[in-house]
Amino acid sequence: METPNEVIFSISEFIELLNIGLKRSKAKIIGEVSEVSFGPTGHVYFSLKDENPSTSSGQGGAMIKCICWKSKYFLFGIKLEEGLKIIASGYPEIYSMSGRLSFIAETIEYAGEGTLQKEYEKLKKKLADEGLFAKERKREIPEYVRKVGIITSKQGAVLADFLTNLGKYGFKIKLIDSRVEGQGAVEDLISAVKTFKNQDIEVLVIMRGGGSLESMMAFNNELLVREIVNFPVPVIAAIGHDKDEPLITLAADLAVSTPSIAATTLTEPWRRVDLLVETALKVSFQKLDNIIQSGKISLGNSWKDLVLGFNSLLSKINLKLENSGKMIYSNNPERQLKLGYSIARCGGKIVKKISDIKIGDNIDLKVSDGTIIAETINLKP
Amino acid sequence: MIKKDLSSNLKRLSEITDWFENQEEIDVEEGLEKVKEAAALIKSSKERLKVVENEFEEIKKSVDVDKTSDEK
Repeated sequence: METPNEVIFSISEFIELLNIGLKRSKAKIIGEVSEVSFGPTGHVYFSLKDENPSTSSGQGGAMIKCICWKSKYFLFGIKLEEGLKIIASGYPEIYSMSGRLSFIAETIEYAGEGTLQKEYEKLKKKLADEGLFAKERKREIPEYVRKVGIITSKQGAVLADFLTNLGKYGFKIKLIDSRVEGQGAVEDLISAVKTFKNQDIEVLVIMRGGGSLESMMAFNNELLVREIVNFPVPVIAAIGHDKDEPLITLAADLAVSTPSIAATTLTEPWRRVDLLVETALKVSFQKLDNIIQSGKISLGNSWKDLVLGFNSLLSKINLKLENSGKMIYSNNPERQLKLGYSIARCGGKIVKKISDIKIGDNIDLKVSDGTIIAETINLKP
Repeated sequence: MIKKDLSSNLKRLSEITDWFENQEEIDVEEGLEKVKEAAALIKSSKERLKVVENEFEEIKKSVDVDKTSDEK
């Protein structure tokens, strides 16, 4: 069986093997920039050397060749120049064509609070002079937002704080997890903002907790600020800070100090609607109750009127029956005959006047129990 | 003709009383028939009226009961 020592590599294979191991040796190194040159492809070649020539190993003037790829270099907004003190994060790699070891700088950042502060102020002024922080540029956060894009780290309390305060208003949340600490976050943040540019959202919220100027450097990145300013929908920045406001906070359409305030900004219009609906419901119920009560009173009154009316009708009918009875009684021919009146007829016609008959005519006299037939003997007017 | 319908009976009764009022020559026989008919109409109407009154009282009671339970 072959042991590793017995394997014979080509140079390129061996360098490739070395590079696999070297890539695991990720590190942050601090030093002064020298020998800066820009390759025709845009990649940046420079050296980093110790500021103080004497090192712990006793070997002064230690130096390492570094490369920063074009795609990364422009992310960080740092112009590498002779004597600049920076921190580079990356890993060593051997270039197979020359056998030379270089440090591949994945991120570069200013070293030292003083430099950071100076560069922060310089960029702030530059962007302010361009009008990127002007109030007139800022857009209103739309009311009744539903679709929200969030850029923050899934780690930590920020996201939980935001979501807790968002309540149950049916928001559609899209989250892009991003590093938010150090220069490495720049790439994540810019990539997340670019991704959200093509997403269907109504507002973008960028959040992180508080921290020092150094830890906030990603949020002071010029490219990121420009992305925020040109973002198609309004942007809310909820980035905690002490003294120096992160530049994307200045560029955002709305800057709030905590994730919970960002959430409240979005929920407030919905809360007001809820309140309006609740109030409207209460008023409607009250009105409905009033209508029912008024209906009851009206029904009660109608019923009273109905009872009175019907009683009056019954009385009228009773009276009519009584009157009819009296009238019929008084007109009853039998009663008249019983009282002694009789009805005289001559030739079938009732005799009302002496001119209705003549002497010698027979008269039928109707009495209560029969008819008397009589002859007219005399007529006296 | 006597009907159970109170309003028809009352209408007929009115016709009979009108007949008596407007008759210049009372036909005793016809008058007697009208009197008999009117008497029957009055009797029937009073009975019907009583039934109506009783029904009305029942309805009043049920409405009063409904109102009382509503107030409770």
